Amino acid sequence: MGVLEHKFQDNIVVEKLDKLLGWARSTSPWYFQFGLACCAIEMMATAASRHDLERIGMMPRSSPRQADIMIVAGTVTMKMALRVKKLYEQMAEPKYVIAMGSCATSGGPYWQHGYHVLKGVDLIVPVDVYVPGCPPRPEALIEGLLKLQEKIQTDRPLTKIDS
Amino acid sequence: MTDDRDKLIAEAVEKALKGDMDAINGIEDRVTRSKAKAALHKAKKAAKAAELTSADASESDAVENQTETISTNQKIASIIDGEFPGSVVAQEGESEECIYIQSKFWEKVASFLRNNAVLDFDSLQCVTGMDMGEGILEVRYNFHSMKLRHSIEIRISTPIENPHIYSIEQIWRIGDWFEREVYDMFGILFTGHRNLKRMLLPDDWEGFPLRKDYETPQSYHGIAVPKVKEEWE
Repeated sequence: MGVLEHKFQDNIVVEKLDKLLGWARSTSPWYFQFGLACCAIEMMATAASRHDLERIGMMPRSSPRQADIMIVAGTVTMKMALRVKKLYEQMAEPKYVIAMGSCATSGGPYWQHGYHVLKGVDLIVPVDVYVPGCPPRPEALIEGLLKLQEKIQTDRPLTKIDS
Repeated sequence: MTDDRDKLIAEAVEKALKGDMDAINGIEDRVTRSKAKAALHKAKKAAKAAELTSADASESDAVENQTETISTNQKIASIIDGEFPGSVVAQEGESEECIYIQSKFWEKVASFLRNNAVLDFDSLQCVTGMDMGEGILEVRYNFHSMKLRHSIEIRISTPIENPHIYSIEQIWRIGDWFEREVYDMFGILFTGHRNLKRMLLPDDWEGFPLRKDYETPQSYHGIAVPKVKEEWE
């Protein structure tokens, strides 16, 4: 959005435009195709024909430049944490993050003794939706994605934010 | 009914043992037929076992029975000790399971294991590191000979202050990654390894996590490592 973002006084035209933009953004959120552990298998199952993410307008992109959503699917090790952060920074605005499974949410089974595991991906990137489960079933991930779509729809990208 | 069936099966098996399989295949009831086949299999097995034991009793003598109880590890330990006197460390109790080698002999012993025609260990299956406590690190190698079908375990210990062991990476190429992993977790320095760097952890990681005295770092590149979300419990 760049120059137009949060530049306009709230009025009927801006509100309608905001709604249009929110609708457009929420109905085709392309997600970044990368998985870290067993959650990635469930993510693949979600994208495959039985659960079929494309029916809610989502398709995997192999480059962070083309993706809107990053699904952090799996255990984030310290070695990977730096790379996850870098990949998030490479994504274009607007960008959203889903922490999938207990590892990405809080460190999961490694929460106490994992010397090499990041205790939740929200320590390095802002997370919009947490999907619990170990790993979550595809239904749970879809629920999370629908929640994220709702969240994207309520965004007001043009309206000026009162500070 | 059952008596009849048992009788039928016994007769059929007897005929089949003499070479007449039609006796079994001709049984109409499916259950009876399969039972008869199982009985035939059992009978053949019993006959074979009886044959073997009788052959053993007649041919083998007392000396041969004694050598069978000596394990492969003990046998090969004596071969190694014969070639390099003083290389095998005598251990009580565990000598059947493994061979302890003095680490200063390891370079020669390793190529001996690989090249000797009697031993011919062409496959290194695993390299394990261990922190035994009390300042001792240990490396365990599992060798297998695909050709001669025998396997041994070699153990070498090294002091934790100066853990140096000769690298077998150029003798068994698979040892390259095995040794890098042991180095990564235990910090054992393999002398002569051409690419000894961390395998799993990042290159700038400090410490060797599987050592007993390892303590979890507080942060890595500014990210907190220990659990910080106390209020979640």
